Amino acid sequence: MVRAHRSLALTAAIASVAALGLTACSGGAGSSSAGGGAGDGSGKKVTRIKLVAAEYSKDHTAAFWKQFAEKYKQKTGIDLDVQVVSWDTIDQTSSTMLQNNNAPDILNLNAYASYAKDGLLYNGDEVLPASAKSDILDAFDKSGTYNGKLYGFPDLSSARAFFYNKALFSKAGIAAPPKTWSELEADAKRISALGDGSIGYALPLGPEESQGEFSMWLFNNNGSWKKDGKWTINSPENVKTLSFLKKLTDEKVTQNNPGKTNRADAFNLFASGKVGMVVGFSPLAAQLDKAGTVQYGVAPMPTQASEPQTFGVTDYLMAFKKPGNQEAVKAFYDLYYQKDQVNQFIKAEGFLPVTRSGLDFFKDDAKLKVYLDTLPNAHLTPTDDPTWDKVKLAVQQNLGAAVSPGGDPQKVLDTLQEQAGNGS
Amino acid sequence: MTRRRADRASLGSALLWLGPALLLIGGVVVLPAVELVRASLSRFSITGLRLGDAGTRNYTAVLQHPMLGTVVLNTVIWVVAVVALTVVISLGVAQFLTKDFWGRTVVRWAVIVPWAASLVITAKTFVMIYDYYYGTLNLLLGAVGLGPVDFLGSDAWIMASMVLVGVFVSIPFTSYVFVAGLNATPVEVYEAARVDGAGPFQTWWRITLPLLRPALLVAVVLNIINVFNSFPIIYVLNDRNPGFGHDTTITFMYKLAFKSAEKDVGMSAAAGVFNVLLILVVVVVYLRFTRWREESA
Repeated sequence: MVRAHRSLALTAAIASVAALGLTACSGGAGSSSAGGGAGDGSGKKVTRIKLVAAEYSKDHTAAFWKQFAEKYKQKTGIDLDVQVVSWDTIDQTSSTMLQNNNAPDILNLNAYASYAKDGLLYNGDEVLPASAKSDILDAFDKSGTYNGKLYGFPDLSSARAFFYNKALFSKAGIAAPPKTWSELEADAKRISALGDGSIGYALPLGPEESQGEFSMWLFNNNGSWKKDGKWTINSPENVKTLSFLKKLTDEKVTQNNPGKTNRADAFNLFASGKVGMVVGFSPLAAQLDKAGTVQYGVAPMPTQASEPQTFGVTDYLMAFKKPGNQEAVKAFYDLYYQKDQVNQFIKAEGFLPVTRSGLDFFKDDAKLKVYLDTLPNAHLTPTDDPTWDKVKLAVQQNLGAAVSPGGDPQKVLDTLQEQAGNGS
Repeated sequence: MTRRRADRASLGSALLWLGPALLLIGGVVVLPAVELVRASLSRFSITGLRLGDAGTRNYTAVLQHPMLGTVVLNTVIWVVAVVALTVVISLGVAQFLTKDFWGRTVVRWAVIVPWAASLVITAKTFVMIYDYYYGTLNLLLGAVGLGPVDFLGSDAWIMASMVLVGVFVSIPFTSYVFVAGLNATPVEVYEAARVDGAGPFQTWWRITLPLLRPALLVAVVLNIINVFNSFPIIYVLNDRNPGFGHDTTITFMYKLAFKSAEKDVGMSAAAGVFNVLLILVVVVVYLRFTRWREESA
């Protein structure tokens, strides 16, 4: 009897542990097959959707989405769970969610094309109200379009501009911000010659955002990342551009070690008043205004082209196909692209609009004028190509090497070009 | 009858006691390990979506990675330097902490602080200390007329800078293991040594160190595992350096999944499997080696 009981209990125990193990497995076994339900709207409608949003600022992002979720619930009766994630970890968060077959309904990220390529997303025809679609600025409509359909819906944008330190300029006897690269080089030399730790031009080519800094320069040398469907990373213009940046580095008119300086570090140096010139954007202006210690001017980027070009960036809100969530997602966008919602968000975060009505909304803001004028013609990175999602990372991890001692711009760009060619 | 009842009760209660632990081990150790191996055998899209089976492709991709040699060498330097320096310094700290002096409690608490602080916070603090332009260390160097040193950006300095932080955070635990070991050594042995006329160094070399052997063994093994798996220090201090030039196998694995151009969860999982195997081999070899020493002694 005892023996029987014992073995029975043991079997039960093993069985229960095994069962628990199995359920746990099936819970985490999302990796077993491609995700993305039919999403045809048939069947049960969801009563709760999830948004994973990038944190633009500690003060405003969570607050905006909180009030948004309340309005959304009021309007639709559907709950909106908001998870705000820092930019440092959002790639990891989204990747892990997909791996576990647990995608959010809406994801806010700086890339979308790979997700569209994997067939995970709704396109604009399915979930974007017509009024919102026609309101999106052409440049962003283009960059959000993959294979002829809009998949990346822009949430906000920014455009780069050239910042200079007025106090250092007058100390060095420079009357006006430079218009050409040779003027910039000469001014950088004069500012560096002031001594006392003065830095002519702050050049961040570190892993955080080197593709952004390089974009601003290459567009102003008639260069491009991709042209007529072909990668042009190692074009002669781009090699010249990177060689010029290496020259600035070698002449020691930049900060120490530009290949290992992140954008945030360059901005901090400019905010400390040591730096003569830097490529910034509207949030940097907000940071400088708040501190109030640096007298700065904002000017068009010095250029080799016929007129100054600007580099624009937009991030995206993309929607994942999941059974029964189509209506809820559509209602989300309907509310988000209301003039007061999207623009209130953009205003609080200090960025730029993505819609025609947004341009109108901000037109009276004198501080934003320099950006708004250039925004409709801004050059963007080729975010509509899934290959870019990898090329961008390769650029971030390798571009800095070109300006380090013994670095070879031609070789670095050749390697990147080759990687881009293999990636598609 | 009563005996039978006792038997049954003990089995039931044994399960009751063991159940939570078994569940925990299953959920926290076994399941993730299974998932890791599964992921390493799968092909993933850059988005994290599983596309299908990969066979052993991820493993060969890791083994053929052009930076693997550098990364492994970095790992060896990192682990050996941090563990060796930690053990040597901690031996001194432990001797000091077992001495009776005024304010010993305060000092003992102070030694624990780096251990209690979050590694990320400690690492960020050291970034501020090391910074080329604002770092306190460079301010001090500047004050005595030595030029600023690029502790985090220069290829020559970055590993040493990281090792210093690694030692700093490893000393507390290691010292306390040695303090416990020292407290366990019988006073009589020292008295006997003194009577026999042994000097301080001889006493330490012939008595203290051999008696500390169990503590040393524990400290070294735990430190090897800990330091090998240390992620935050290297990740935070090495943040501005592009590429894999100063990564260890742990940050290499992370960057493969989320930061590098590979951005491949499957390849990263394969690197993770290699990591586990590597640390197992190192620990087993170390234990074998020390036992062999014991037998021959």
